Amino acid sequence: MVDAARHPKIDVRTYTQVERVEGFVGNFKVQLREKARYVIADRCNGCGDCAKVCPIEVPNRFELDLAPRKAAYVAMSQSVPLLYTIDQEACIHCYKCVEACGALDAIDFSQEDKIVWEDIGAIVVATGFNHFDPSVIPEYGYNQYPNVITAMEMERLNNSAGPTVGNLIRPSDGENPKRLAIINCVGSRDKRFNPWCSNFCCMYAIKNAVLLKQMYPEIELSIYYIDIRTPSKGYEEFYERAREMGIKFIQGRPSLITEDKKSHNLFVHSEDITLGLVTEYEYDMVMLNQAAVPQPDVDSVSSVLNIQQSPGGWFMEYHPKLRPLDTPTDGIFIAGACQGPKDIPASVASGSATASRAGRILHSDEWEIEPIIAQVWEDRCVSADGKKCGICAKACPYNAITVEVGTAAQVTTAKCHGCGGCVAECPHNAITQLHYTDAQILAQIRALLADKPEEKIFAFRCHWCSYGGADMAGTSHFEYSANERGVRVMCSARMDTDFIYEAYRLGAGAVLYSGCHPQDCHYITGQLVGASRAERLQKIFDKMGMSPGRFRIEWISAAEGQKYANVIDEMQQTIDEIGKEKLLAEIESMKPEMEKRARRMYEVPDVTDASDYSDKMKIAMTLEVVDIGK
Amino acid sequence: MENKDKPLSFMEQVQAIPGGEAVSVCFSCGTCVSRCLIQQKVEKAYNPRRMMKMVMMDLRESAFDSPTTWLCSSCELCYPACPQEIHISGVINAVKELAIEKGKRSPLKTAEVNTKTCVACGLCVEVCPYKAVHLVEKNIPNRGKNMTIAEVDNEHCMACGLCSSVCRSNSIELTEDCTDENVIDSLRNWLTEQSVKVTA
Repeated sequence: MVDAARHPKIDVRTYTQVERVEGFVGNFKVQLREKARYVIADRCNGCGDCAKVCPIEVPNRFELDLAPRKAAYVAMSQSVPLLYTIDQEACIHCYKCVEACGALDAIDFSQEDKIVWEDIGAIVVATGFNHFDPSVIPEYGYNQYPNVITAMEMERLNNSAGPTVGNLIRPSDGENPKRLAIINCVGSRDKRFNPWCSNFCCMYAIKNAVLLKQMYPEIELSIYYIDIRTPSKGYEEFYERAREMGIKFIQGRPSLITEDKKSHNLFVHSEDITLGLVTEYEYDMVMLNQAAVPQPDVDSVSSVLNIQQSPGGWFMEYHPKLRPLDTPTDGIFIAGACQGPKDIPASVASGSATASRAGRILHSDEWEIEPIIAQVWEDRCVSADGKKCGICAKACPYNAITVEVGTAAQVTTAKCHGCGGCVAECPHNAITQLHYTDAQILAQIRALLADKPEEKIFAFRCHWCSYGGADMAGTSHFEYSANERGVRVMCSARMDTDFIYEAYRLGAGAVLYSGCHPQDCHYITGQLVGASRAERLQKIFDKMGMSPGRFRIEWISAAEGQKYANVIDEMQQTIDEIGKEKLLAEIESMKPEMEKRARRMYEVPDVTDASDYSDKMKIAMTLEVVDIGK
Repeated sequence: MENKDKPLSFMEQVQAIPGGEAVSVCFSCGTCVSRCLIQQKVEKAYNPRRMMKMVMMDLRESAFDSPTTWLCSSCELCYPACPQEIHISGVINAVKELAIEKGKRSPLKTAEVNTKTCVACGLCVEVCPYKAVHLVEKNIPNRGKNMTIAEVDNEHCMACGLCSSVCRSNSIELTEDCTDENVIDSLRNWLTEQSVKVTA
């Protein structure tokens, strides 16, 4: 940290909050709130005289309230930069600190929060994780029994710079514990609280046990566990060392901790699974190894940065295997445990990796993006005619479209990721998507439904999930109806109502509207745009009296090949049950209505001359080179 | 594709019965066992965790013969403690249903109705937590034809004795060790012992 603070090219801002982020990769504008410390940073030398004279003591959050701190304080002794802060909530304005500071004159009670804007090329989010509060598990008695402590409290009690100068004592009587139990998976692997495995607690329990055993060779240590997970290099060897040192490992999750009221000793009730016996052992102290949980402010951080969360509140990566550090927004990266529970080596690795990912942006003049982007046909955009619309901007998950009445909607190319939501939503057909133009998709639909359309099941699949699901069904050799035909678009947001009307107009037997599960969408909220449109369509078709099952909405992940095959088979069954004659009659009776609704049909030429459709639209198809600066 | 004609495995059968659905997610942490009072006070071989495993491993006969199948009183101490949110007594009851279907009978000494004195007031039916007591019409020798009378369903009775304690005519009682006289006797003995201890 000290090295980083001294580096001429690293600017460390502590006690500063990111409030707004605007712009795009290479050109972010970030609004920072530098909170008032009431201490002038340039003058404070960190001598601590102010804290010495300060008469106010409040609980020290860094020491987990095991020790007090003054109203003039540093968060911890290793703080970088070493600057004192006056806690205004606790301060009684006696101004003894001002006196003590003397000639340095570093304390300034008139300071106010400062708002600054900075030009930023790339952003790395490394906000870390929080600890689960075990007091919500009543059976473990945390906060009721003084000698039940958390792992973080153990960390402070066991630290030579901590409140007890490294002397491990029982909070109830100040004695050194002779028998200590460590309980793993407190709040993790527990569907009542957090279903995930917190990744590092097994090793953490073993580390603490080994440390304590070295410091107090007489201590009896037991670790209660469901499974011991030691998957990384050297971890299993460390586990072995702990067993050699005589640390007891008890397989079983304790169901209850009770306390002897006089001695404050604790009884841990657990089944020893390997023995098949219910055990009740007495301990002087119990340490709860709490779960890692996301920071409490993840919601505001993700809304400021426009990044998503995975289930549970961890920040979501672009791709779990191939791009685990990138977010869907270019130029914003996630490092460390804010992406999911990580131990120290993994956090350091992801930190270094994000730094080099960010470096790529800072060291290049140009930034390559996927060519699949949206383009506005300016003559058609009603916003240019002075009408209020802005539907495209609402559909965009990346805030890439700016709409000002009087000018046509503008797509910021560097922000556009090509989901196609705006293209499908635009009621005036004023936006097109490169490589997935209406003409190209309609040409595919027309070609695929050219022959015996009433027998066909027509599937719209999204590139990332349901197309992958169909692919999985194929590569796994799952059998399903051979009448399935389908087109791929980038996202379910691109599945225009007109495409579906057109498919029915051409006489398709059934239509499948498929995409990602909402939490899997690669375009942040693209699936939601697609899903609400699909529901709208379903209502319209119900009203038109379409046989149920002919229009089907399914969310299928790339791994759900079996589901894809089953859905297609079920749709085939629906068609068979309706019967060919009835189906043909229904298609015929609905044709005029579909024809009326499929507006794009009139604007898009037939298959044969679809190739020059783009030219006819006279859209500037050249991409601008985006200058991302340095 | 799944083979639809394949007979259901033991686990699938259990999962098909309401309450038994979540059995497959058990990761054998043992919380239920150390919570269970029946395991700790009544029968050491009683073990809900092993029951889950037996269901998963298709050990049908072992499960039917296990005391776990028959002794669960559905007190629900384990359910709120289970980190996988498995309704454990639901699973055990599902196994019990399958065992009864197979003709297995509960080893418990269940409550019995004295047909000579029962007046069919229905108190026992109301209090039974296991819905094991019903009013039926029966021919009772020396009392009459089509008499309405209480009857205990032996498979579902858990021998808790609640019916016996509410019966106004002493017509329903647990058999063997827990008849009213036995309970009163042992209570008197225990009290005498206590008084001896105090005087000593």
